[in-house]
Order: sequence, then structure tokens, then C-alpha cells
Amino acid sequence: MILCLLIHVSRTSQGLPVRQAGVIAGEMIQIGRGAACPVHLPDHRVALHHASVRRADDGSLHMDAAGEAMLKIDGIIARSVVLQPGMRIEIGPYVLGVETAPAGHDIALSMEKVHAPDGHETAVGLKQPVTLEALGFGKRTLGAVLAACILLVFLLLPMLPGASQALDKWQADLPVTLNGSWSPGSLTGGHALFEAKCSTCHKRPFQAVADEVCTGCHTQAGKHLSNETLHKRAFGSMRCTDCHADHKSRGKLRHDAEKCVACHGDIKRINHDSKLADAHDFATGHPAFHITLPEGVDADGVERVVRLRQQDKPVERPALKYSHKIHLDKTGISSPEGDTVMQCRDCHRLDASGEHFAAMTMEKTCQQSACHALNFTEPVEGIVPHGSERAVMSRLREFYGRWLADAPENRTQCEAAVGAPANSVRATLDCVNDLARRNGAATLFRKNAECGECHEITPVASTDVPWKVTPLRINRDWQPGAVFSHAKHGAMDCTACHDKMNSQKSADIAMPAIEKCRECHVGKSPARGKVVSACVSCHRFHNGEGK
Amino acid sequence: MNRMQGATLLKYRDHRYLKVASALVLLAMAAYLLSGRAGDDAFGGTVLGYLLGIAATLIVLMLMLYGVVRRRIGGTMGRRQPAKDEKATRGEKPFRAGRLEGATLQGWLSAHIYLGVLLLVLATLHTGFHFGWNVHTLSYVLMLLVIASGLYGLHAYLNYPTLITLNMGDDTLDDLLLMIAELDELAAARALALPDEIQALVQKACRETRVGGKLWEQLSGEQRDCPTRYAVQQLPELSATYGRNDQPKMIRELYAMLLRKEKLVQRARADVMLRARMTCWLFLHAPLGIALLAALTAHIVSIFFYW
Repeated sequence: MILCLLIHVSRTSQGLPVRQAGVIAGEMIQIGRGAACPVHLPDHRVALHHASVRRADDGSLHMDAAGEAMLKIDGIIARSVVLQPGMRIEIGPYVLGVETAPAGHDIALSMEKVHAPDGHETAVGLKQPVTLEALGFGKRTLGAVLAACILLVFLLLPMLPGASQALDKWQADLPVTLNGSWSPGSLTGGHALFEAKCSTCHKRPFQAVADEVCTGCHTQAGKHLSNETLHKRAFGSMRCTDCHADHKSRGKLRHDAEKCVACHGDIKRINHDSKLADAHDFATGHPAFHITLPEGVDADGVERVVRLRQQDKPVERPALKYSHKIHLDKTGISSPEGDTVMQCRDCHRLDASGEHFAAMTMEKTCQQSACHALNFTEPVEGIVPHGSERAVMSRLREFYGRWLADAPENRTQCEAAVGAPANSVRATLDCVNDLARRNGAATLFRKNAECGECHEITPVASTDVPWKVTPLRINRDWQPGAVFSHAKHGAMDCTACHDKMNSQKSADIAMPAIEKCRECHVGKSPARGKVVSACVSCHRFHNGEGK
Repeated sequence: MNRMQGATLLKYRDHRYLKVASALVLLAMAAYLLSGRAGDDAFGGTVLGYLLGIAATLIVLMLMLYGVVRRRIGGTMGRRQPAKDEKATRGEKPFRAGRLEGATLQGWLSAHIYLGVLLLVLATLHTGFHFGWNVHTLSYVLMLLVIASGLYGLHAYLNYPTLITLNMGDDTLDDLLLMIAELDELAAARALALPDEIQALVQKACRETRVGGKLWEQLSGEQRDCPTRYAVQQLPELSATYGRNDQPKMIRELYAMLLRKEKLVQRARADVMLRARMTCWLFLHAPLGIALLAALTAHIVSIFFYW
């Protein structure tokens, strides 16, 4: 049993010691920061159980350090010590002084916290800034600096060219323009010329690009409707940029059907008198095709056309007798150059647009392979030109005049036949005219042969040219309201769409119906293996009515 | 905030904001796909593009409002706002947004997280997948950085508090620093009687060992060429050189002290590192948020300036 007088020493404000004594007893006296230790040294530098005082076999009192703890005895580090009065034992910030034990006590220990309060004793340089705040980073400052830079470079500078034309012109030549950062995307095609100078189109701040800016250059762009009132009703608030959004997409033109369907989905709402059917989508809501046929020229010299529904099976009246079946016979058609198997493109040749076909002519189309030569054989051999009836007759007269001049016996015989006085000019002319008429009727102007093999011929009351050939009206644009590129469909057989192999008459129309197009094309909703086709795939907005 | 609180944050009110954000994500995606413009024709200037842009802007403003709300009702995290009269008696400025009364900071933060992720979807659809070197894409990139730093912050708040507690136990950083100082003192005293070379080693370890420091030292939790670690490495070698009389025992004790110090230093540095990593994101998140607001302003003004 050790009986220990423990004296707590504290200091007054003047530095004078105040001693408070208490007695503790035990087999061993534990020293540490743990609450269970009778000598309680509440500081983190002191171990939970730092040391203990024990009585040795010889009766002396020892102080032993516990665990890894160390004792500092009169400035010397030790693990164990025999306690002697006058000793100073440092444990953390505390100093335990061994004093002479009063009577009845085994030992007296004074206990004083001598070092400065916690936190002031760390070695110089140990404690560096331990939080990011302590490094002086300011969230608000950094944010404000970033925001100010952004507002300067991306808001203020781009606005400046709008304030001064001179500045605008100057900055356009800079490698990086002031307002380039505002451009949401590069300009397409020729518009790229204006890339550095926004004010070319954006004339006034906070005002939308006016249509006049577009039409100032694009003078050829026609209106969709020729009727002004109707145009205003349909497109009152629309701007060019509603459909032509440059900068923002890779193409300049909108391909969606929204704007078209806004009117054409219920066309009567816009124009009560419209003859057009409603259209929503090529696959699911498009009217059947119409066929447009020429009706000849009216009194004012304007070509008239008629628009007919395809399902009514209209017929063409080209005034031409022609059988596709005979010409496209797979075994070939006889020609002066031998039997020839003809192809569609032998006659139908695409023009430069790739959309329509070049006009067919007698020389280039019908007389290829020396076919359809215009010979006449009675009574002399010759060739007449393909042209007007009068030109044919003149050629005949020329032939017969020469024939009579070259053979006097023929002339005598002829003049006798016409009953005119011999050797008179009158008699010769009558003779030539008579021969030309008779041989023209017999060899050329026949109803179903020679000229009549292809043309409709009607006799007329005229002594000079007693036949009239009905003029041809071969249609070249069956659907003027749409564009169709034959060039783009070049990989297909013509007969896949145009069923002409068995057509025996030129009246047959072989334009494909909408169902044929829908075998490959769908509307705006994509479908596997089909081509998405918007309104503008076939129709042109600016080409005026009917396109 | 510990893991349990973090979980509550994400599950707040039976995943209320997760549901709201998911519904809006689905709605926006469906609208984008059904608009038939997916592809080259999609951009911010279409009707859907404007709607998405307006929605995204409102969400950005709402997310930034969190910064204000956090300061107003900070410290009552997870608790309901005190009633108005209570605040008045405490002399606090009443929170103006009446509708926000009763909202908890945790609720705000839950909404902040989910709406932030929703913003990512809305703004991406708003771009129509057109990007370039311009103020518009700058706004988008800043938004991405803000969201990315925010997601890192969420990760940090969910995981680091547990790691900090595991590392520190009941001790605080100041406790550890005091213990280190005490060990330094003891080691210095012990080294007094040892050869100069060892003395110099211990002095260097006392004077030059640092906890914390510059940004990189805080984030990495290391001191380059740490003198304490160097001393721990060198002491056994030196002890072989000077192993005579009672010095081996003293050197062993010194070595034990240095080893303990090294462990304490490592713990202290780990604490600084974890706290730095837990808070560093906010030094990007908040300033970039302010920068985003500026870029967004420039983006919107530019659209209408050059309409």
C-alpha cells in the first residue's frame, strides 16, 4: 500500500503558487490522462496510462513508464526511476515534483502544468495550412473573375461591332473576329463569304433577319402563291429563316413537313376554293397522283393543259400512231441494218436537267438505223423531206418536172392525158401537178402507210396540198407539280415503273401510281429499307403554284 | 454527413426528386425522338429546342438558388425550418420565399442533385448535338464541368466522412499534432546524448516535418522527402555504425519514438488529405456555377441580339 500526498499546484495572476493537497492510496499509483488514473494528467500528449508508482522489494518507490511512454527525469529520458525527493519528472506539459513525504505518507508529489496551453507547442513548421480555405482560395472571388472574363469576351466584345460600322469592318479582317464566338455554326455554301461580318444579314440588334435581306440577293426566288391576298393569308407571319435556317444545321433547308402540312393538311381552311386534296405525309396521307395533259394552244397563244385524276385512267391524244410493243420486241425489229433489239433509251434520252427527256425528232429518233426513210418509188425514185405537207409536195413537183424534161415521150403522153395543148407551159405544169398529186396520194399520203403509218392524215379542199397532217402533241411533263429526277433513279429499269412493253397504242399512259413510289419511299417516319421522303423531296416551294 | 444520411439524401421522401427527374428525362427524350428532327435538323432554335432551353435555364437558376438557400437555412440541415415567430424572436431575417418554408436543406440538396442530372439530359437535347468553338458550347462545357464536380462532391460526401472517422477515431487533428510535438520533444531530448549525425537526423525530422501545406500536399497527403520517414529509414543503418556502450538501447527507444511519430504524421496527413478531397470540388463547383451563369447570359443575349 502506498499512501501518497498529491499536491495540485496552480498559479495566481501574479504568478504565485497555490497548493491544494489531497491524499491518494493504492498498491500502485497510476499516472495518465485516463480518468481511472489517480494522478490524472488531462492532456493528449500524456498516454492513457503513462506511468505508475510501485513499491520495490527493497521498499523503495519506483516510477515506471508504461507501454511505449517515456519519462523525462531532470532532463534525462528514462523508462524507470527510483523516486527521490527533489526530482522533477516531466510528463507531457506537466511536471511532477517529488517532495519530502510528511509524516504518515509514503511520498509527496506536486503536480503542475508548466508548459504553455495546448496548441502552442507544436514545432515550428509542423502545422502548415491544413484546410483549403486556409490557402486563401476564394470561391466567390474565382467565380466573379471567371464570370467577369466571360461577360467581357463573350458578351461585351461581340456587341461592339453592332455599335460601329468602322469597328465592324476592322474586326472582319482579324484572324479571330470579335463576334465569331456568337456564331452557332458555320455558314453553308456562298453564305460563307459573310462569315466574318454578321451585320451582312443581322442588320439591327435584337431584330430578326428580315426577308428583304434574303430577297436582296435571291431575286429569283418565286412566291409560293401568285395571288397576293392568298399569299398574305397563308404566309403572313412567316419569314424566310423559318425554313432556311443557316448556321444551325448542316443543310440550309428544313426538311421537316411541319410547315407544309400546317396549310396542306387542311388546305380548304386557307383557300376555300382550292382544288387540291389535303396532304399530311407521303406514306399515309398523300392524295393519288394526277396526270396533266396538253390541250393545245388557245386563242391567246398560251399552251393549255388539263389536270386529270390518274385513277380515271385518262388517255393521251398525241396524234401519233405508235406501238411500244412492236418497237421493244425482245426478238428485235427489222431495220435496214438488220434486226435490232431496241431499248427505251434509244429514243428517250435524258436532257441536261436529269429530270425530263430531250424532245424526239424524226431525224434523230425515228430514222436511226436508217429506219423510216421517206422514199417514194412511183414513177421515179426519190426522197422527200420530213416537214410540212407543202414542202413534201414541192419536192414531188420538182422531181416530176425534171422527169418530164428528161423524157419527152413521157411528157407527150402526160400532156395528152391532161387534155391540154401540147408543148404549152400550162400543159406541162398541169401535168407535173397531176403527177405529184397522184403519186403523193399513192406513195406518201396514204391512210395507214408511209406518212399515214405514223400520222393522222385528213384530205383538205386544196389543189396545191390536198392533205393535212394533224400536228403532234407529245407530252413531256406529266406531273408539273412535282419534280422527279430520272437521273437519280437511273439504277432502275424504265419498265419497273412504266409498263410499256405491251402498249400498242400511243394513247396508253404508263405513269406509275403513288403505290409504285411507296414501294421504296416512305414519309417522315423512317422504315427499314425505305427512303424517307419529305414534302420537299418532290415539291418545290418557290416555283409558284402547281410545283 | 455519414453514409446513412447520404442514403437518406438520395432517397429523400421516397425518391421524390428521382421520380420527378426521371419523368422529365423520359418526357424530354420522347419529345425529341417524336419531333422527327433527331439528326441534322435538331437545334436549339426549334420549338422543342426553345422549350428545352427555357426548362434548362429555369433549372440552372433553381440549382443556383440552392447556394442562397444553403446559407439561409444552413445549420438546420435535415430539420424543418423553425416557425416564423421563432425566427423573429431570434432576430433572424425571415426567409423570403414563402413556399420554401418547411423545406429542409436535405430536401433542397436532394432536388439539387437530381435536377442537376436532369439538366445534363435537357441541355444535351437542347444542343441537338451540334457543338462548336463558340459561347453556346462554352456554356454547355461549363455546365458539364459543374455537374461533373457536383457528382464528385456527392461521391465525396457519401464516402469520405466514414473514412475520416475510421482514420481519426476519437482524436482530432490538433490532438495528433500535439502528440507529434510531444514525441518530437522527447526524441530531441533522447538524441542529445547520441552522435551528431543521429542528432541532426532527429532535429531535421522535428523541424521540417509538415502536415498540410500547399494544395498538392493537402490533396496528396504526402510531404515530398518527408524527414520523419527519412529518419525512420536511416536510423537502423546508423545504429549499426554507432552500436557501442548503451547507445543501442537509446537508439532503439529513439527508433520507437520516430516510428510512432511517423504513424501519427501519416494519420494527420490522411485526415488533411481526406478533408481536402472532400471539399476541393466545391472550389470548382461554386465558381464554375457562377461562370456558367455568365456564359448562359451571354448565350441567351447573343441568340436574341443576332436573331
